[in-house]
Amino acid sequence: MILQLVIKKARAEPAQFIFVIIAIASVIALVLVLEGFRQGIYQQIRQIIMSRGADVIVAQAGVSNMVASRSILPQLSRQAVERIDGVVEAHPMTSLPAIYDKGGRQTPVFVLVYDTLGGPAELEAGRQLAQNREIVIDRSLAVIYELLPGDDFVLNDFSFTVVGISKDTAAFFTPFAFTNYDDLIDLYFESDIVGDLSTLPLLSFLLVEIEAGRDASRIAAEIDKRVPEVDAYLPDAIAANDVAMSRSMLGQVFQLMIVIAYLIGVLVIGLIMFSSVQKRKYELAVFKAIGFSFSRLAQSVIAESLLLTLLALPLAAVFAYVLSLLIQEAAPVYLILTTEDGPMIRTLIASLVFSILGSLMSFRMIARLEPVLALRG
Amino acid sequence: MIRWSIRSIGSEGTVLLASCTGVAFAFLLVMFFEAVFNGESERITAYPTQVNADVWVMQKGVSNMHMAVSQLWDWKEDRIRSIEGVADTESILYMNAVIDVGDREWFAYIVGLDERADFSAPWAMHSGKRLPERGEMVIPETLARLTGLQTGDNIAIADRRFTIIGLSEGTFSMANSIVFVSKVDLADIMSATGSVSYVMVRAASGVSPIELAQRILNQVDKVNALPQKKFINNDHHLARQMGVEIIAMMSIIGSLLAIVIVAFTVHMFILRRKRELAILKALGYRNRHVYMSVLLQALLLTLGGLALSFAFALVLFPMISLLVPAVSLKWTLASLLKTTIAAFLVAALAALWPARQVVRVDPLAVFHG
Repeated sequence: MILQLVIKKARAEPAQFIFVIIAIASVIALVLVLEGFRQGIYQQIRQIIMSRGADVIVAQAGVSNMVASRSILPQLSRQAVERIDGVVEAHPMTSLPAIYDKGGRQTPVFVLVYDTLGGPAELEAGRQLAQNREIVIDRSLAVIYELLPGDDFVLNDFSFTVVGISKDTAAFFTPFAFTNYDDLIDLYFESDIVGDLSTLPLLSFLLVEIEAGRDASRIAAEIDKRVPEVDAYLPDAIAANDVAMSRSMLGQVFQLMIVIAYLIGVLVIGLIMFSSVQKRKYELAVFKAIGFSFSRLAQSVIAESLLLTLLALPLAAVFAYVLSLLIQEAAPVYLILTTEDGPMIRTLIASLVFSILGSLMSFRMIARLEPVLALRG
Repeated sequence: MIRWSIRSIGSEGTVLLASCTGVAFAFLLVMFFEAVFNGESERITAYPTQVNADVWVMQKGVSNMHMAVSQLWDWKEDRIRSIEGVADTESILYMNAVIDVGDREWFAYIVGLDERADFSAPWAMHSGKRLPERGEMVIPETLARLTGLQTGDNIAIADRRFTIIGLSEGTFSMANSIVFVSKVDLADIMSATGSVSYVMVRAASGVSPIELAQRILNQVDKVNALPQKKFINNDHHLARQMGVEIIAMMSIIGSLLAIVIVAFTVHMFILRRKRELAILKALGYRNRHVYMSVLLQALLLTLGGLALSFAFALVLFPMISLLVPAVSLKWTLASLLKTTIAAFLVAALAALWPARQVVRVDPLAVFHG
């Protein structure tokens, strides 16, 4: 019956029906974008760690994070790790936060300095590092500053040449860049901070490559046991730690914004159902006159709002996807994942709940409808 | 016509309230998003603002503190102190790190202080000691409240454990709380013996910070020296820039939502008042008069929503800051103005579709009953 009613309304007033669906879809799309934003932050963090290509990641003892965290390993720890059975090679990597400043605009950049492993996994343009004074930058930096392979890139007064533009290499609202060790040392020299090279932070992490068929978690445990100045993690575990930290930093803000978006959803559905009931008040009065109870009519209003919400969901997914593309175009450092299963299901359930809550707004009107109104209509 | 517009919109109290509240929440979402960025930008600059030095000296090529790394030889501080016009200097070591707080990890800025630090030390204390010695740490009081930590408890940075000896005020931030340890401890963690991160300089009376910064640049090799104001501005600017595009996009999304809500409400008003509109047209009112009434209704709804959103923000933002201390919200005049301008645009755009319907109203409809 409700489906028939909705179809009848859609045929009778197609423009209004479309408007209603657009209104509901817009609110759900907003929730999906916020959920996708949160999901994107976690995904970027995970991705930047997982795509370094390590089987095991070694950090300074007591350091259990990788992105945005400072780890300084003793230089001899590399040899100690490489002596462990099953380790093929421990590839060095250093992270260096810096501020890129061009044309009055500043952007924080995490520079990953690598040697044989840990460079950008995928390039959108250009090539990997081949010589000194070269740098590969994340596409967000390239878009914001209109940089192309061959352009200059000055960081901390040290001049690089952009040779590649990497994909999926931003996390924590910050783009990454990649360079090699020779350049890092040159950068330290130019900054006049080198006295004793052994005191410089040249080694942040070791990206450990293990023999095929060996159990990475066992090797990580062995490294922990035999090299006390380091902690070894599976990439999954260190990524989970970084995600957990970003949750503790940003979780509450996103939760508050999503709650506000749901409140908007309740109000929009409420408005729609209120208008729908008001328009059909003579019809509903007839139902009351022939003996339909309040609860039966209320159920029909709830069913109608649920049906409208379900019809709006596919459009909401499209809206959210288009919005995410627009946002990522305007602010390429962000990743907005609007089509992930978890947030989709969560939003679907929440949307159905807010459509029920929204339909409650019209209950008072239904309760106060006089059956005698049917005669006036 | 104006009276009719106001009376007709006012006659449906529930719809009006629900619509205004919907619009208000759409604006509130945008204001909340911007307030979070503003609040965090302010907290990010809390340390340099409160330290109140005249000039900041750092590694060449570095010009701020937030997310930056700076390293200078410690003898350069002695060199700076000997420059004419320098009244006093203090230096800190500084790094960002994840601190292990019980079952949670928190991103923090670690500041390593000299044992006789004065203006570089925490500027306001809630309780406990202000200056940490070896193995000791001062943490923000808000962080202690959020994590249940107390003076005497332990916190780890890397593999070192520190005992909390004081709780500071005004040093908490969602993105980077400020934690104070001794410079010796931090030098060990950073393997940075013999170096400092920033030198903070106080000028002798009558010496301008700009002039002093220039003197330092001229006399000390390979450093950057900035007057305090410029240094803080750089940090503030950087933090704001990190959020500028996303705030703009959220503003557009919020405004689009407000447009949909206002347009829908006005559209429903018009549908319900088709006969009245037909009478008005039959009485000789022209389309432009009816357009104006639609625009006025959209404007009233939007301004009602805007006023409600300001009222909600006035009540909710301080409440959120109290209930969720991790979130700092700051409302600025600029964001108020931006939201108000957006509201007028919302009203104008929301009136477009209902206005189209008005044109289609046939004056003869009045006779159809």
